[in-house]
This record gives sequence, structure tokens and C-alpha cells, in this order.
Amino acid sequence: MQTAKKVIEIVLLLAFSFAAPSLAGALDAVAPDTTDELRAQVHAMEQDEAALEEENQGLRKMLKQIDDNEIYLVVDTESNRLTMRRGRKTLMTAVVGTGSRQFVQEETGRSWYFESPTGALKVLGKERNPVWIRPDWSYAEENMPVPPENDPDRIVRGVLGKYALILGNGYKIHGTKYTDLLGTHFTHGCISVGDKDLETLYRSVKIGTKVYIY
Amino acid sequence: MKTAAVHLLLLLSLFLAGMNGNGQEPDEREELLQQREELNKKIETLRREQDFLLFEKVLYAADSKYLIINLGSRAGQLKYKNRVLKDFRFKASPKLAGSIGPGALTLTKKREDPGQRHVLVFGKSLVIQWKRPPRAPYQADVPSLSLSKTDLQSIFYALEEGAKAYILTR
Repeated sequence: MQTAKKVIEIVLLLAFSFAAPSLAGALDAVAPDTTDELRAQVHAMEQDEAALEEENQGLRKMLKQIDDNEIYLVVDTESNRLTMRRGRKTLMTAVVGTGSRQFVQEETGRSWYFESPTGALKVLGKERNPVWIRPDWSYAEENMPVPPENDPDRIVRGVLGKYALILGNGYKIHGTKYTDLLGTHFTHGCISVGDKDLETLYRSVKIGTKVYIY
Repeated sequence: MKTAAVHLLLLLSLFLAGMNGNGQEPDEREELLQQREELNKKIETLRREQDFLLFEKVLYAADSKYLIINLGSRAGQLKYKNRVLKDFRFKASPKLAGSIGPGALTLTKKREDPGQRHVLVFGKSLVIQWKRPPRAPYQADVPSLSLSKTDLQSIFYALEEGAKAYILTR
């Protein structure tokens, strides 16, 4: 009985020994990738990776070249804040005054809306002890008769602070006597800045510095 | 019992020998599988980076302000071309985690209620609103970001419908 059992065991063992490799081979065949396929896949992926890295390097380089690392100014007319930045760094933040968003109408029907200009502007000029040439709206606002264009009465000194940065179309970044109003919409469109911040701005920016107003 | 165990071990070794085919392949195969997995990850990372770099390239050429929203650091930027106009921080709704992946979104709607409640809607993907809305949040089922009132107002008026936002997840 014992001997018969042993014989059966040996027969079964031998049968399985022969069958096992073929069974395993069959399992290998249904596996998703053969070693050769894997090698080919990895090779193709290495090429993809290299190509992507090269493309990205080109893009990174291009975007880096755009970054001129120049100082630029940003004016947020909603929160009345001016920031001086270089790249991703904020160099200075100032509380400023921006356009009052109000209308003034002259008796003749002419009207003005006092809003700060928005968009990408540039510092077109820098002034020390700027002089204000009173525009027509300033007279209309006070119900005064409007003098001729070159009337000396239009020249007002000392109201724009020590410095001004010219933005064009009559708009400037300048000082103000109304420092209590900084942080509000109170100007006729210019950007009003406190004395200390104005001096920093004047010393830091150059003609051509970009000014983004939104 | 002992004999049975020996037989079982024998069987197993034979079976595994059949699986291997030859002696060296399993090591190489394993190595290749690992390499494939690593390459998959690297390629995915590079594709994401490329998507973002292309976004920045396109927006540099466009005349439109846009947002970069980093969900990982809970910080955002309002940008115009390559310039940062504003940095801001935000709180994310619990729904946001895992519900939004990296990529570009489009501002589909600017909503301004009489109560000065500003909402920026990016389709069904995202809503940007004030930190403490006076009423129930707009589109409660959509993931949202909450900003301070001042930051939100600045961004609200700076962006136009159709503006882009790019979501970074780390």
C-alpha cells in the first residue's frame, strides 16, 4: 500500500514537472509585454522624454529671455495701491489716489469723466518741481470762466509735489497736498502719491519704465 | 507531511523555472518595468510643464490679463504678459481637493450682485468669490476659491469674460 502510494506520487510529480514549463510559457505569452516589447517601449519613451526635455528647455529659455529684470510699476485702481516690482519681487507698495470716477459738466455742455487711464503705459518723462497747467475742467469744476490756452493764470506751482513722472495725455504720477485722501478715488485721473514714496519712485524709475494700470 | 512539503517546494521551483524561460531575463524584465514606470512619470511631468510653458508663451503674446492659481501653495497671481500685477492668497473649498487638475480654465461669467458680491465663474470647474459671502455661496456644487474682498474686487475688474486662468497643483 505504502509502495503504491509512493509510485503514484512520483508519477504525478514527473507529470507536473513536464507540464509546468509549458504552462508557465503559456502564462508568459498572455502577459502584456514580452521582454523585447518592453525594451522597445522603454527605448521609445527615452526618446520621447529627451524630445520633451529639449522642447521645454527651448520654451524655458524663450520665456527667460522675455524677463528683462527691469523695474516696472503696477497701479491697482480698485484698491488704490501702487507697487514697484522687479521680476517676481515687490520692491515697494504705496497707498495712492486714483481717478474719482465722477463727471463734471460745463455750462456749454462740455463734460469730463475723471478716471485713471488703464493699460500698459510708459514713463515718458521725469520732472522735478513740476508745474501744474490748469486744464479747462479745473475751471469748469469751480464754475469759473475758462481763460485762453496760454494764459499765465493757468500756471500753478507747488501743488504736484516735488516730482512727477509723465505718463502722457496729461496724466502723471505726482505728489499731492491732500495726503489724507490717499487710498481713495479723489484725483482727476492722475496717480497721487505721498512725498516719501514719490521720492523713491522718482529715484528708481527711468524714462521708458513700464507702468501697468488696471 | 514532510514528503508533501518537499514535493510542493519542488513543484513550485519547477513552475517558476518555467515562468523564467532563462536565468537572466527576469532581472532585466523587472528593471525594464521599473524604468518604464519612471519614464512614464517623467514624461507626464514634462508634458504638464510644457502645457504650462505653452500657456505662458501664448499669454505673453496676448493682450489679456490672466490668473495663475497654485492650489498647492494657496497663492495666486494676476498677470499681464510676463508681468505680475498682483499676488493674492486664497482659501479653497473642501470640494476643491482632488476635483480639479492642472490646466487652463476660461472665465465664462462675471457676476456682480447689487450687494457688491462679486463672483468669477470658470464654467462648471471653479468659482472665485469673496471669503465671507453674505449669503450662501454661488453655485455651491462647484469647487470654489475664496479671496479677501479687496483682492477679489481688484481681480474682478481687471479680468474680462473669456480671460484665462491656469491651475497648478503643486
